[in-house]
Amino acid sequence: MRVQLPIPSVLFVSAWLLAGCGQPPPATFVLNEKATKLLIPEAQETLKQVLADNFGDPNQLVAWQKFPIDYGAAQPGPDNKDRDADGWRLKEGRNLYMQHCLHCHGVSGDGNGPTARFLNPRPRDYRQGVFKFKSTQAPFKPAHADLVRVLKEGIPGTYMPSFVLLGDEKLGMIVDYVRWLSIRGDMEIKLYNELAAAGATPKDVASTVENLLQEAKEDGGKRPGKSELNRKTIDDVMKGINDGLAETVETVASDIAESWAKAEEPESVIAPKVKRTPPSPASIDRGRKLYLSQVQGKKTQCADCHGPAGRGDGPNTEQFWPIPGTTPERKYETVGLHDEWGFPQQPRNLTRGVYRGGRRPVDIYRRIFAGIRGTQMPGFGGTVLNDEEIWDVVNYVLSIPFDGKASAYPTEVETEPKAEVADVRKQEAGDRGQ
Amino acid sequence: MNRFWCFFFSGAAAIAVLFSAIGPSYGWWFPGASFSPLGAQIDDLFYLILVITSVTFIGVHIVLGYILWQYGSGKPRRASFLHGSHALEVVWSIVPAGVLLFIALYQMDVWARYRVKSNFDPAAVAHPVAEVTARQFEWRIRYPAPGKTLQDKPQPDDLYTVNDLHVPVGKPVLIKLRSEDVLHSFFLPHLRVKQDAVPGLSIPVWFQADKAQVYDLVCAELCGWGHYKMRGQLTAQRAEEYKAYLDELSQTQFDDGVAAKKNDE
Repeated sequence: MRVQLPIPSVLFVSAWLLAGCGQPPPATFVLNEKATKLLIPEAQETLKQVLADNFGDPNQLVAWQKFPIDYGAAQPGPDNKDRDADGWRLKEGRNLYMQHCLHCHGVSGDGNGPTARFLNPRPRDYRQGVFKFKSTQAPFKPAHADLVRVLKEGIPGTYMPSFVLLGDEKLGMIVDYVRWLSIRGDMEIKLYNELAAAGATPKDVASTVENLLQEAKEDGGKRPGKSELNRKTIDDVMKGINDGLAETVETVASDIAESWAKAEEPESVIAPKVKRTPPSPASIDRGRKLYLSQVQGKKTQCADCHGPAGRGDGPNTEQFWPIPGTTPERKYETVGLHDEWGFPQQPRNLTRGVYRGGRRPVDIYRRIFAGIRGTQMPGFGGTVLNDEEIWDVVNYVLSIPFDGKASAYPTEVETEPKAEVADVRKQEAGDRGQ
Repeated sequence: MNRFWCFFFSGAAAIAVLFSAIGPSYGWWFPGASFSPLGAQIDDLFYLILVITSVTFIGVHIVLGYILWQYGSGKPRRASFLHGSHALEVVWSIVPAGVLLFIALYQMDVWARYRVKSNFDPAAVAHPVAEVTARQFEWRIRYPAPGKTLQDKPQPDDLYTVNDLHVPVGKPVLIKLRSEDVLHSFFLPHLRVKQDAVPGLSIPVWFQADKAQVYDLVCAELCGWGHYKMRGQLTAQRAEEYKAYLDELSQTQFDDGVAAKKNDE
């Protein structure tokens, strides 16, 4: 028996099967929605051109030597064809990035790859040049080694897996490409700020035009057309921008280059000056009191966010917070804290024993000393707490997941509750009972 | 069309046999000989079943080819009516059942050694080397502190790593396998060990690596889009190297950074 298939249906099925084959569109860097896209089209073009000239596009990278990045000097030889031209490290880093990182972090490093919208927490958007887990002082960029460490260890509690088996050389290249993407995004935002300050926003242009119309009206002379005035204003603004553009780009790039170079200096690293206090019951108890702001003159306010029992449920997580930089002030639609990228963010639940930035005592010391960039976690080092006090808090934080008998560091607090501590214990017990 | 189907089916079978025969020399086979005693036994079982199925496969295809040759000539001939054969039905039920029963009984020993906990090495059961927690898309590993026993709940002095499981060489070791999110499968191809990781369960898995080297650890259960890159490695080390590794891990993990000179080291 022969099955008669109508020809149209055959064509339809083949077309359906073949759909999706063929070349995908080439990867391109997208403009920043929260910066460049807010400028007038002419300024957008200018900014786009600056970025294209200095950074290229994913298929044609430009290695701008201004930045402290090892782009890879040529190593010509018969065996290494892929290393015969300058910038091979950046290229190789890009290839690895495209293979391992792109689907979450996006081609432009904007944390908006194809899988990003399914993830919570969201993948990092590198373009602000802000990274959470680093060993350097609060305002500084992360050191190269910090980013390698994140790639090696992954970030437990998030979707970031470990890439440790790629090996140091490849990880180094990925980190350099990520730093380069971050610099590119940072340039874009900073140049946007410059251009916006020079009046290249639709709002500024409109108000200038409005003023000119007003003046013309008062002069009573010939009334110029609105579109003509608009054209003229834009031309003036763009002329002002283009005249100083080279210099502006140079200055902004120098600032960014300097900030990344500074992160590599040994004195930028937070190194505790005193050894960790052994996690004795007494030290844990002192840490607990500091955590609960029960020590005179030491307002740590840890419990306001992390909660009295460390569950990440402090009172600050139950308020609606204003969006920074909005006038008139608007509030976030979701309750609780938000990070610098505008996503809801929970203070760490310290009872879980999951430490995103690493579980070494020095990691937690650095989080407390310098805070966490991009979040509401402030730094306490050198201002509120001294080294010994930070170690006490570290010891307390590390002891939280192990309460009672399960703890290798059973606290005196358990057996001989002191007055004020006992209150908290009761409260915790109440929390648990609910 | 006279004898087309005869050549088609016999040819397909012949090609399958040919490819299976030359496969090993092209590396289309196991990743080398097994590196564990149990793995060798599992291979033996595999080869036994391979022999049984190959004999059956070739036999069936010879008969099929013969019948197609004989009756596919296109000569008109009357079919003879047959109301079944009791003896034949008994034979073709009993023989495969006997083969299956033989396999079922024959493999019990190896299965029990691999899966029945009372047969595990008591020393390995008493001191599991690590807890391996699979999650999308990595293997998180928790060792007990050197000289201590792994507890079900994390302990303050536990040691943590990711994707790189170290075990002592040449003796049975046991890990506790967990999953944080979805089904994964802990697969050590060189040791012929494969065990699903199921969320909510802590599954004991034992194995023995006889050679001190690095083995592949892969996920063998499609667990999401990143399944293919959920790779780890198993490093089997001599006792003193293993101890040194754990000591170093311990030192790194409890580092207070006071001696740190360079960035984050």
